[in-house]
Amino acid sequence: MKIKKILALVLAGAMTLSMAGLTASAEGATAPDNDLVIAIEGSVSSMDPQNISDTNAISATRGVYEELLHFDENQELEGVLAESWEVSEDSLTYTFHLREGVKFHDGTDFNSAAVVANFERVFDADNGLKSRRTYFKTVDGEETPRIASIETPDDYTVVFTLSEPYGVFLNKLTQMCFISPAAIEEYGNDVMYHPCGTGPYTYQEWVEGDHVTMVRNDDYWGEKPGVDSVTIKEVPEAGTRTAMLQTGEADLIYPTSSDQLSVVESTEDAQINTSVSNIMRYVTLNVNREALSDVRVRQAMNYAIDKDAYVALMYGGYGEAATSTVPSVIQYYEEQTPYTFDLEKAKSLMEEAGYADGFDITIWGDNTTQEIKGMTFIQQQLSQIGINVEVVPMEPATVSDKIYVPLEDAEIDMWYVNWSASDFSADSSMRALLYSEMCPPTSANTVYYNNPDFDAAMDAGLAAATEEEKAEYYQTAQELAWNDATWLFLGTDQIVYSTKTYLSGAYVAPDGTIRYQNAVLAQ
Amino acid sequence: MGRYCIKRILSAIPLLLAISFFIFMYIHLIPGDPARMQAGMDATAEEVEVIREQLGLNKPLLTQYVDYMKGLFTGDLGNSLKNGATVWDTIIPRFKPTIMLTICSIIWATIVGVALGIISAVCRGKAMDYIGMLIAISGISVPSFWLGLMLIQWFSVGLGWLPTSGLDSWKSYILPSLTLGAGTMAILARFTRSSMLESMREDYVRTARAKGLGEFFVIMRHAFKNSLIQVVTVTGLQIGGLLSGSVLVETVFSIPGLGRLLVDSINYRDYKVVQALLLFFAVEYIVVNLIVDLLYGVLNPKVRYD
Repeated sequence: MKIKKILALVLAGAMTLSMAGLTASAEGATAPDNDLVIAIEGSVSSMDPQNISDTNAISATRGVYEELLHFDENQELEGVLAESWEVSEDSLTYTFHLREGVKFHDGTDFNSAAVVANFERVFDADNGLKSRRTYFKTVDGEETPRIASIETPDDYTVVFTLSEPYGVFLNKLTQMCFISPAAIEEYGNDVMYHPCGTGPYTYQEWVEGDHVTMVRNDDYWGEKPGVDSVTIKEVPEAGTRTAMLQTGEADLIYPTSSDQLSVVESTEDAQINTSVSNIMRYVTLNVNREALSDVRVRQAMNYAIDKDAYVALMYGGYGEAATSTVPSVIQYYEEQTPYTFDLEKAKSLMEEAGYADGFDITIWGDNTTQEIKGMTFIQQQLSQIGINVEVVPMEPATVSDKIYVPLEDAEIDMWYVNWSASDFSADSSMRALLYSEMCPPTSANTVYYNNPDFDAAMDAGLAAATEEEKAEYYQTAQELAWNDATWLFLGTDQIVYSTKTYLSGAYVAPDGTIRYQNAVLAQ
Repeated sequence: MGRYCIKRILSAIPLLLAISFFIFMYIHLIPGDPARMQAGMDATAEEVEVIREQLGLNKPLLTQYVDYMKGLFTGDLGNSLKNGATVWDTIIPRFKPTIMLTICSIIWATIVGVALGIISAVCRGKAMDYIGMLIAISGISVPSFWLGLMLIQWFSVGLGWLPTSGLDSWKSYILPSLTLGAGTMAILARFTRSSMLESMREDYVRTARAKGLGEFFVIMRHAFKNSLIQVVTVTGLQIGGLLSGSVLVETVFSIPGLGRLLVDSINYRDYKVVQALLLFFAVEYIVVNLIVDLLYGVLNPKVRYD
């Protein structure tokens, strides 16, 4: 009798427990702790926000540091440390009204003097900071500052006067973070080991090659973070990142490569997320090569490539065929008439141009598996119209060495490459790649594209004062390059990352930076 | 022996000088321009030139080499081209993970490898011999990145016993050490077996048996002790290799060790860091070899140092 009773009790207990389990899972998964762990592929080069250019370092520094303004989730400019700003009609004077009552983590006030101190640090050539070149223009070896003066009428107003119109100035400022002037004073360039900003998290630890840890800043001026700490961990191997997500050691992993998708899909409390990227995938066509000098040949090559197949093969469908010279998230993007896959049209264009039998050509690119796969795809596609492509993969630094050479030494035919403008401006998306003065060795115009109309549109865009004018000029530029078929326009891949289902508010922005400032782990 | 040590150390100096020269020339002559890498693909040639000047890369190669050697003698290895940190600050934190992993791997690999070798030799031609050598051959043939990922799948994802990555606690050392030591264990097993088989054929072993000594005593005291020289040589070489870090194992387990630092620095053309690391690896091989040579004397009193 007694045994039966115990058995009944045990059963009842078990049932209650399993019911409880059911309710819990119905309400959604909860996190085991309140510490956010993000696993990334690459490495954080430095924690000095004024001396970095890589996406990972940008992600890591943006917890501790803030800018005057940034791009929000909808890629619109939004004030952060600046409450508002005005631009004069001649687009030479930019006035910023700073947020009051903001303090750096060491207690120093954030004010106009702090803004000036940071710009002075960047301008000083002796500091050798990477962001310096944003603010200087070099012509014929002469360096001129883009910012003629910075004035501070009061503690919370900063007025920048430019030496000439610089249409991307606001975009560039989204990359300028502010460091405590007291910390700059104390540590100099060693401030990378002692980060001190105004952000929602305070710096705790940076172990180079391993991780960066930040903890919640309870005195943050804005909405306080939902998590206790954020750790950004460098995990180069894709399989290990996925394993970390499976075991719960990581809450967000980026990127998730296409071979890992099925594993994440079959993991119960994990999900795959995507966002449109600013990464343009293309192949440059050197117009100085006889065959490629004919626009009909270049157009034929574009028609001969099945862009949808490219996206499916290379990115497991997570991407889209290119629709303009710049990706759709770039400012002033405008959709162009697509080069829809059409072999007949391609063949007839080749015939018209006198290349019915095709020709031999080489394609260069990095020697990674993914890049070789892409080049092999191009090779296969172009063989359909008789073009015999030789794939030449090279170590990245070698490619770079062979590209930035004087015109007479140039051996390049086609270059399989990608580009993303971290400031999302149309100017940064095209100028270095297509402007006539940017041919190697100066910069990366490996098309050797020289179209005065295109150059004029780019220059007018940079000097234009109103949004409407800028849009008009940059759209003209996109259209010219597109119709001239300067590149094989391939696609824009999506950013693919995976998260635990109990994580919300953290995402990967189109430029590949991770935004975790408003992250919440369901408890 | 003291004089021998001093002689060896002195003779290492010209060797290191030659090595430093070759390292410097080699790294500067391979294609790739750190100034361009740092400036980015869209930078103009003039901007790249400014950076080149800042990094001191515009000076003639020989001047750069002299500067580098001057720095070397004063302990100044320069600054990383990547983020401006001193080379010391960049590489010192990377030593600990690599050294710890080397110690853990070498300990288990030596114990297991030598034991397997002895057992296989003693049971030559029997099942135990085949099993032992099967394990050894698997250890050599299995690629470390695959073994690492499999171990993560079994012990971290499947069983949840051990962490997937990092070096936060003693538990995190288990999987990477197993992966890293597998090859060493296998090589040691093979070497121990063959040198044991050789010494077991020697007259002194037969004599020992004839004296009526126990089989265990004969094997350990007479046969194994005489095979030790080979085992020590191989172990020394392995330690030298492991101390240079393992790119694959460090990558699979996200360990911030010397191997990954070397590869990252080569990709970035961070000359200063690459030079320092390669020079360190050279020193380390020289030291390990010296220790091995000294151990010969301990193991075999017939070895004399002049």
